Amino acid sequence: MWIPGYMPIELLLIITLVAFIYVGVNYLLTKMGKRIPAFPQAILLWLGAYSIFKFVLFPPIPSALLYTFMGLVTLVVFLFISSTEKGWTEFKRPILNTVMAVNPMYKGIRTVSFVVLPLLIGYGTYDFYLPKFDEPIDLRTVHPAPPASVTVRGTNFTLQTAQNPFRVDDNGKYLPVGQESKYFKMNPFDPNAPQYMKNVRDGGAIFFQNCHFCHGDNLNGRGMFAFAFVPIPANFADPGTIAQLQETFVFWRISKGGPGLPRESAPWASAMPPWEEHLTTDEIWKVNMFEYWHTEFFPRTWD
Amino acid sequence: MKAMSRRIRVWSLISFGAVATMLLMSLVMPLLSTPVMADDATKAVTETAPKVEMAKDIYYKKEGPVSGPPVPELKATDYPSYNLPYPLSENRIIIWSIAQQHLYFGSFVLAVPIFCMIIELVGLLVKDPVMAKKYDDLAHLMVKISLTAYSVTAILGGLLIFSFITLYPDFFKYLSSLFKPVMHIYALLFLAESGTLYLYYYGWDRMAHGFAKWIHASMGVLLNVFGTVLMMLANSWASFMMSPAGVDEKGRYLGNLWAVMHNALWNPLNVHRIIGNMVFGGGIVAAYAAYKFLAAKNQEEKAYYDWMGYIAMFLAVGSLIPLPFAGYWLMREVYGFRQQMGITLMGGLLAWLFIIQAVLIGALFFSTNYYLFNGMERMRGAERYQKYIKYILFLTTAAFLVWLTPHTLVMRPAELKAIGGQQHPVIGNFGVMSAKNGAVNTMIMTTIISFLLYQRSNKIVTVKWEAWGNGALMAMFAVALVNNWWLAIYGYFIPANVRVGLSVPQVVGTLTTLFIGSAINIAMMKGSKLTGPIEWGKISVRSQYALFALAVSFTWLMALMGYIRSSVRLFWHVMEVFRDNSPWAFTHTIGFAANVMSINVMAFWLFVLFVFWLGELTSQHALAEARKEVARPAMAGGSE
Repeated sequence: MWIPGYMPIELLLIITLVAFIYVGVNYLLTKMGKRIPAFPQAILLWLGAYSIFKFVLFPPIPSALLYTFMGLVTLVVFLFISSTEKGWTEFKRPILNTVMAVNPMYKGIRTVSFVVLPLLIGYGTYDFYLPKFDEPIDLRTVHPAPPASVTVRGTNFTLQTAQNPFRVDDNGKYLPVGQESKYFKMNPFDPNAPQYMKNVRDGGAIFFQNCHFCHGDNLNGRGMFAFAFVPIPANFADPGTIAQLQETFVFWRISKGGPGLPRESAPWASAMPPWEEHLTTDEIWKVNMFEYWHTEFFPRTWD
Repeated sequence: MKAMSRRIRVWSLISFGAVATMLLMSLVMPLLSTPVMADDATKAVTETAPKVEMAKDIYYKKEGPVSGPPVPELKATDYPSYNLPYPLSENRIIIWSIAQQHLYFGSFVLAVPIFCMIIELVGLLVKDPVMAKKYDDLAHLMVKISLTAYSVTAILGGLLIFSFITLYPDFFKYLSSLFKPVMHIYALLFLAESGTLYLYYYGWDRMAHGFAKWIHASMGVLLNVFGTVLMMLANSWASFMMSPAGVDEKGRYLGNLWAVMHNALWNPLNVHRIIGNMVFGGGIVAAYAAYKFLAAKNQEEKAYYDWMGYIAMFLAVGSLIPLPFAGYWLMREVYGFRQQMGITLMGGLLAWLFIIQAVLIGALFFSTNYYLFNGMERMRGAERYQKYIKYILFLTTAAFLVWLTPHTLVMRPAELKAIGGQQHPVIGNFGVMSAKNGAVNTMIMTTIISFLLYQRSNKIVTVKWEAWGNGALMAMFAVALVNNWWLAIYGYFIPANVRVGLSVPQVVGTLTTLFIGSAINIAMMKGSKLTGPIEWGKISVRSQYALFALAVSFTWLMALMGYIRSSVRLFWHVMEVFRDNSPWAFTHTIGFAANVMSINVMAFWLFVLFVFWLGELTSQHALAEARKEVARPAMAGGSE
């Protein structure tokens, strides 16, 4: 079972394990005098990689990425077998034997290949040009570029320099990014909670009143309405979303929603409402705080 | 006689040092200087001419006297264009293509003198007279190749200026009103560079010995000083367009030229381009050698061009290693200047182009490693190390897998639903910078390992501390790799500003393996027993295609990244100051842009073939002489 958060390492570990098994088996077979020749070795390596990317990796990766990965694997297998003259000669031998039909067996293989290969290529071409009714590939730009400043409810905020006014320490002073980790495990409902946690609690209340229907209880973009949208709402638990952005960027996105997205890369596929029409700027800042607190991510800063 | 010789040597070194200091001064001065002149200018103006209007610098936030007109508000009709079929009806396509060709040739003629300077110096320092002559001839041949390219660069530069004046008259007028003195200095420096280049080339044989040779080598340094300053001046125009400074919000010049030049992205761009030029120049020379190798008619020719290709590749890849770090600094400064520019580049509109960049960078590392693997076969005794190829390839592949995986995937809506979001829960995590840093450092380190193994291929270590040396090398690489991977994982759990800082220990680890690893390896090779000479020319044909792949990847990368750097301004001539109101002020589709880039790459290679052919016409005799001397190997494991 894949465990979110640990899976990337798991994939690399699986690939490493398979590589070691390959080396080990190859070593043993060579010791036993039953070494697999280079050509079938290359085929096996290719198929092994394909099996991992196609069947082990879950959920399935999109076809475009599968092609890219397999293109890489094909290149690397070629580099591997042709990195030495000996390996390259060994790899080419069955191909040349087939082309030149050095014995009846190779002649048979050549005959079959010369019939099957054109047919396969022909089918591939036919299939490529066959009209299809699938929705086309979507080259969507996920991160819009923010404006330099934004006016929300009559107040102008410069996104490069604005600060969340509710990001305060126990003395009421601005809490620099990175120092909020001490609050991550605190109970926001504790009556003696520090001011930071009180603000988080307020933000949480606003989130559950307005946002969780789409963005989900765990902020993973899987709320009860999420699957009515294509694409589903942003997953804040992913390290590539709010963790990569300034607090002011998130403030801008919440305030202006889909209609406030910039012209470039249009049309945007976003059902996000402009929340400035429903929430005050203070409420938006507090929701912002809650999102970072809940996911335990830190907003991006430039200092 | 001996005293005389010593005196000559001392004077040569002093003159050489003086010129080298000039080179360093030109690089260091801009970094040290700050725009203090703004205050002086302000003070002077307030004292003598109080009526002069003052305005605030949009970048330095200091007040200065308004000394120029505001940017004009242009209409679509202010852009005179030719009535040509699309896409040539767009002025920017014409400018784009000419600028690209000018930049290619400009980079080449700036890079080749750097190599010539290094190779000539190596020739001077090598004690073996045969090797010294060999290096000297190689440097001479490289200058010869660049001579024709120099003329082409100048012609393309003229063409570019005419195109600007005729196709973007108002914009060029504005830019030249700011950079007027810089443009004149640029032209004068060009004259100085031309003169030095011709002296350098035509004086080669006359200044071949003694003190004169050192003066000649110093001239090579001077040539590079002129070239580097030229490039930095031109960079100030391009970087001003991206990150304007020294003007107010209306684009009015505030009387401080240094502030205009020393804008936020100038120095990062300078450093990135100097290193990039060296990589590119090495790639072109390597491709030339590969072409000549494939066309060679005898073993002697093959040996010479094999050696030349190796040296060029060695210099190119040596320069490639610091390039990602310079790129990282540039991007960091872009983000620092304007968040939206950074996001447009790496997360937004232009992000897909960075995926193509990742693929091309991977191609560079794979080509280099593959060339070295094949190169091992020139040496008897390399079989001992060939068993490690699979591990090196595996590590490079795993790192490249992480390196090229985007955060947001290209997919059909049905696939999107199956995944449950734009980001894949497994491999989507590879799409962020922390993972990429770990990946690129791993690829660099595997390439360093390939180099070290290559160095050892035809040698048997005889030093008594062999076990300790090998242990130290293995431990160093293991620690550097584990540290690199650990920091890449740790980067997911900390604030972005701390994460950016983590790249420093990662880079330190990588550079330690490079410098200390190489030093240990070279020390271990001292007094080693040779298993045989490097048999130059006995390398596979496949390796030469790897050199081509290397060079073409460089040119493609330059086209791609140049487009990205320029198009990030979106609909601005000068970012947030001077709006582009031409009818074509929109961002092209990725497919269209990729086609233009590819056509530019092909056009450049056709041009280059022409330049090589011209070089061939006069170099037959010199080459024949040089080839005869290729009997012994050189550099990076080559010395016998």
